[in-house]
Amino acid sequence: MGIGDLSDQGGVEHTITARNVVVRFGNILALDNFSIEVPKGIVGLLGPNGAGKSTFIKTVLGLVSFDSGDVRIDGMDPRTEVMAIRDRVGYMPEHDCLVDTMTGLELVTYFGRLSGMTKEDSIPRSHEVLDFVGLGEERYRPTATYSTGMKQRVKLAQAIVHDPKILFLDEPTNGMDPLGREEMLELISRIAASNKSILVSSHILQDMEKVCQHVIIINGGRAITQGPMSVLLDQGRDRKRMQVRGEPRALAAFTDQLRKGHEVLSVSEEFGQMTIILVNAGPSAPLLDLAKRHGVQVRSYVPDKLTLEGAFIRSVTEGA
Amino acid sequence: MGLDPIGYKPWDGERTEHGRRFLVVAESILRHKLKAKWFLAILIIGTFLVHIMPLFIYSLIPHRELEAEVMRDYLGNGLYFIFEVILVALVCSDLISEDLRSNSFILYVSRAMGAKGYLLGKWTGAMVTIGLFTLLPPLAVAIAVTATQSGPDYLGSLAVIGQTILAGVWSAILLVPAGLAVSSITKKKTYASVGTFMFFFGMTIVAGIFGNMSQDWNLLDPSNVLYQSHTVIYGLELSDSVNRYLLGAMVFLLTFPPMALVYYRILRKEAGNEQRGGGTSPVQVVRSGDRAEQLQHRRSERDHRDSRTQRGRQEHVL
Repeated sequence: MGIGDLSDQGGVEHTITARNVVVRFGNILALDNFSIEVPKGIVGLLGPNGAGKSTFIKTVLGLVSFDSGDVRIDGMDPRTEVMAIRDRVGYMPEHDCLVDTMTGLELVTYFGRLSGMTKEDSIPRSHEVLDFVGLGEERYRPTATYSTGMKQRVKLAQAIVHDPKILFLDEPTNGMDPLGREEMLELISRIAASNKSILVSSHILQDMEKVCQHVIIINGGRAITQGPMSVLLDQGRDRKRMQVRGEPRALAAFTDQLRKGHEVLSVSEEFGQMTIILVNAGPSAPLLDLAKRHGVQVRSYVPDKLTLEGAFIRSVTEGA
Repeated sequence: MGLDPIGYKPWDGERTEHGRRFLVVAESILRHKLKAKWFLAILIIGTFLVHIMPLFIYSLIPHRELEAEVMRDYLGNGLYFIFEVILVALVCSDLISEDLRSNSFILYVSRAMGAKGYLLGKWTGAMVTIGLFTLLPPLAVAIAVTATQSGPDYLGSLAVIGQTILAGVWSAILLVPAGLAVSSITKKKTYASVGTFMFFFGMTIVAGIFGNMSQDWNLLDPSNVLYQSHTVIYGLELSDSVNRYLLGAMVFLLTFPPMALVYYRILRKEAGNEQRGGGTSPVQVVRSGDRAEQLQHRRSERDHRDSRTQRGRQEHVL
């Protein structure tokens, strides 16, 4: 596997695999030897704007053809079996995409039928998924009158109405209030419980941290980090962040002494305050004593916990 | 709102064939248009002005059989063309433009129907809707005239009925592509309907201006093209002044290039080349964007570090 692999994932069943995929639009390189493996469960697809997330999703849906490489979705090739793939995939786009003149129920029924359901199947199923996403009597109103939260729910409902095996959710919590966000994340978790692959693309990393079991970070058309969320965030264990102040000479002596006894990852100074990132599994007292001996004032000493946001920024900057 | 404590339920029904799903789009268009009051109003007024009078006149005037020439002239009526253009302009105006405006287009093409199925569905929906004016009433007139004929040649009348069906379908085939093409190049249905109307009448005006110089220019007039092609469908002789090649070229120009344009526009949209701004664009200049992205992320990393420093100061000051 590629750069930034966090585990070999031996024995894990992958619903989507992409190997050395190259997508060009003229002289523009959208995906550059892009390689990922998407397991079942909720997978976060992270990356800055223009990283290649949408291009990858469109490639999987067969909307964009790739120049070289290999893509398999549930064992199928999007170049030859695009229609069969689309029947197995649900897509919730980021932008507003609802037909204004239709009611929520009409819209979900309509797209259910376009996904291959009969009218007789589609109507009860639409009620079922609208109940599931929490849209009550509003389903009989035109979607043009919906709030952002309701629109997001209908977008999710149309994506799951045909019971896809793989679900692409592009910014599912976009524009929702905190309660609505929580509910949307709860819905995603409930869908994932029925043995589905859910690929979630979002800029709200706190949301991703809550629901995703696996993360893929993309930048510059490449997958730079991928692996289980627990492994990605575990890299910050025993890392401590110490902030100290003092005379420059004392600070230099202190850091020199610190390096002898500990693994110091980084030292930076800003406005007379020094920030030291170090690995220390032991107690803090010896460090504080050392600082005291060198006449250095310790302003703070906290675990340097790696959040998804931190991991994302680090991956993107290191990978750039 | 709020969530009920219900779990996600799978669906295990049979799926319909891919090739038939365009009919869902067509059915939705027809149902939607039939619910629109403006459409029903124009359809009723047009049917009354264009078709009801001939229905009574041709049926009540003594006649031996249904004549192709009579039907050709009835369908060559200027009002028939005007109402058809109005209907095409109004029916086709929102078929593609609204999907582009609302971005619902992406929901269609991400389904197992693709650009071809989408286009076929839209075209069929428009054809069936326009056919309510161009096909059903002329067919009713033809059947009424045949039912009231005094002569014994019902077979000949039946042939003209068949030609009338062809002529009615052809009337829609000739004008719908231009309506769809204009709808695909704008996101506003008002522009699309005015544009379609202006397209047909612009060509009629140009033909009228230059028609005095040469008869060939008259073939620029879509109503003339429709009349001459009806002449061919009804098996009547074309006038000597009509250039057959030019007529063929005009028929081609009114049908294939507009549909090719719509298809091209749909393919471009499908690939996301014209996705609306404000979000992630699937087409990015990766190389030239790297520097900007690096700067942006360095900035956000610094902000992140500063905010953590601030937190650390507040919570862990020793």
